[in-house]
Amino acid sequence: MNETNITNAKQRIEHIEDILSSVAAGDLDLRIESEYEDDLTGIEEAINLLIDDLTHELKKSLKLKAEMEEKLLKIQEQQKTILQQQEDLMELSSPVSKVWENILILPVIGTLDSQRTQVMMENLLQKIVATGCTTAILDITGVPTVDTQVANHLLKTVTAARLLGAECIVSGISPAIAQTIVHLGINLSNILTKATLQDAMIYALRKNEQLINGKVVLNQAINEETI
Amino acid sequence: MLVNERKIPIIKIRDFLIVSIQVDMHDRLALQLQTQILEEIARTHARGVLIDISTLEMVDSFIGRVLSGMASMASIMDAAVVIVGMQPAVAITLVELGLEMPGVETALNMELGMEMLEKRVNT
Repeated sequence: MNETNITNAKQRIEHIEDILSSVAAGDLDLRIESEYEDDLTGIEEAINLLIDDLTHELKKSLKLKAEMEEKLLKIQEQQKTILQQQEDLMELSSPVSKVWENILILPVIGTLDSQRTQVMMENLLQKIVATGCTTAILDITGVPTVDTQVANHLLKTVTAARLLGAECIVSGISPAIAQTIVHLGINLSNILTKATLQDAMIYALRKNEQLINGKVVLNQAINEETI
Repeated sequence: MLVNERKIPIIKIRDFLIVSIQVDMHDRLALQLQTQILEEIARTHARGVLIDISTLEMVDSFIGRVLSGMASMASIMDAAVVIVGMQPAVAITLVELGLEMPGVETALNMELGMEMLEKRVNT
């Protein structure tokens, strides 16, 4: 029973060792070749099969890795686009326009968050300095709600404008916002508020008239509006 | 100690004093300027002071306090103080620091500040 039927045992085992070490080093195309048909053949075939499987799995994982990398790249690109759009939105969301000699208007539309108010504040202050306008109207008719932070930011904007030497009027405070502000205990009494943009404009033009005496155009404009 | 010990010039035009701060303010310089301006108000009987800070890029809480203190001090000496040409960044910093300078008058530029002082002195 113990009699084994293996020809060239030593040589063949050495061959198997060689092949295995080559495979381990990365050469997956090699297979064990043998011209004999005996007890060792089964082992040789099994090893060949294992190498086949390994090759297959390795190829699969490489393919997966490439796919993942591609996806990652795509996601990164998308993220970049989102950031860019956010920035664009920030810029779009706070246009400051000069509507009259000495008068700037900043109409705010949509929900305010801290970041947006911050950008708004910077834009407004820069524009005040750049144009030399002494009156700025902050119209928040288009703002549905405010929270404590945003109300504080609005306060800060008005105060900062005052420090620059410009007066900031807040107009269009909705009933909901008025309620919130009072409930939150924020004191807006130091801030000049007007019911509508129109009222704010009239106030600003009146003030303008006091500043620049003898400008008929302004008088006319004010008269037309008040009649 | 004596390095950079340069005084900020105070110019008198008619009833007003004009101070243009063109160097970086440090604490000692600010205090020195405060004393200097108050002495000058007393000496010249000036009715108003214009302080131009348009070249100041940074104001810390100390300088802010000195400036607003100076305004109150000058006003009890019957001189109005107008701070002129503050940079947006400086205004934001001051507001963030909670220094809203309640008693201080401000103007966008020298010209408007001058008008403001004249109006104030004439009434």
